[in-house]
Amino acid sequence: MKSYREIIEETRQEIPEVSVEEVKAKRDNDEHFVLLDVRDNDEYRSGYIPDALYVSRGMLELDIEDFVPDRDEKIVVYCAGGVRSLLAAKSLKEMGYTDTVSMAGGYRAWASSGYPTVKEKSMTPDQLDRYSRHFMLREIGEKGQAKLFDSKVLFIGAGGLGSPAGIYLAAAGVGTLGIVDSDAVELSNLQRQILHRSEAVGTPKVQSATTTIKALNPDAEVIPYHLRLASDNIMEIIQDYDLIVDGCDNFATRYLVNDAAVLTNKTIVHGSIFQFEGQATVLKPHDGPCYRCMFPAPPPPGMVPS
Amino acid sequence: MLPGVVGVVMATEAIKLLLGTGDPLIGRLLLYDALSMQFRELKVNRDEHCPICGGNPKITELISDYVAACETDPADTELATAAD
Repeated sequence: MKSYREIIEETRQEIPEVSVEEVKAKRDNDEHFVLLDVRDNDEYRSGYIPDALYVSRGMLELDIEDFVPDRDEKIVVYCAGGVRSLLAAKSLKEMGYTDTVSMAGGYRAWASSGYPTVKEKSMTPDQLDRYSRHFMLREIGEKGQAKLFDSKVLFIGAGGLGSPAGIYLAAAGVGTLGIVDSDAVELSNLQRQILHRSEAVGTPKVQSATTTIKALNPDAEVIPYHLRLASDNIMEIIQDYDLIVDGCDNFATRYLVNDAAVLTNKTIVHGSIFQFEGQATVLKPHDGPCYRCMFPAPPPPGMVPS
Repeated sequence: MLPGVVGVVMATEAIKLLLGTGDPLIGRLLLYDALSMQFRELKVNRDEHCPICGGNPKITELISDYVAACETDPADTELATAAD
């Protein structure tokens, strides 16, 4: 039977340690390595080293292969004081990782040396609860949720496509949703445009959409644009957004949005439907085709369903 | 009829792009047929002669009137001229 002290001593013989100064110097020299934070969630939440990969000690063996598939990758592990990181590094070594070291003194030594740390925007207990299912997904986690909070998405159209897209993105915690639509809610919209309720008939769609979204998720900031997009207003509107979700219902707007997005290097999530058929794609300027690459010209007048 | 499927695909793609995760529908046109309940996918390449995102773009600022450009016969429009 081994005591804690014996285990640590043995591990120290086996796992090399680096000082916080050495790690800082490596970063300053742009050396490539994975800085791995293995602390518990609440410790991580209270502050971490910028760009650190977070995998808690408890999930380490389960998750590390997904994040670091290359067994020869250089890894520097840290915890709060440098003990758990030794044990984590030992476990990684046993899994076949060949170049794993532990940062002596851990996060405490790093922070008390005055080296840079960051902290996610802290969430309220309600938010921690609301988004808890996202935290279980390794592609999202608290870091991803913070990204969503900081994201600004512009919806072109609060109709059949903008409704489900807007509702889901608002529910998921996207921080800012801009919505452009010049129409008012009509009774005949309600069979499919689920952002709008019966009592909203006659009111602007952007207003009705704002009411529905705020009721669903008070965290969401909604910016309504009750106007028709045109060449003289689109540039000013889209400049503030990270991403455009285009669910508009006409070709003129589609080409307008495409051209404006290419000129400002913004990505469009495009969708359109007609009767029982639909299509969706992502138009990322210069990375993939734009809407004009796919559809060089609109269909002749008269062929366009309305 | 039911635009929800396409709208939710759009929402999913948006989340992926915001998070920088997964394999978004860049260069892929997803087609959905509700009556047969089938999804198909077309690979779409960039057009190097594209009038706006090609190597030598003819459109370098917005056209003044997109509605007019779409309403007239495409053969005569600024849109189509630029796309030649």
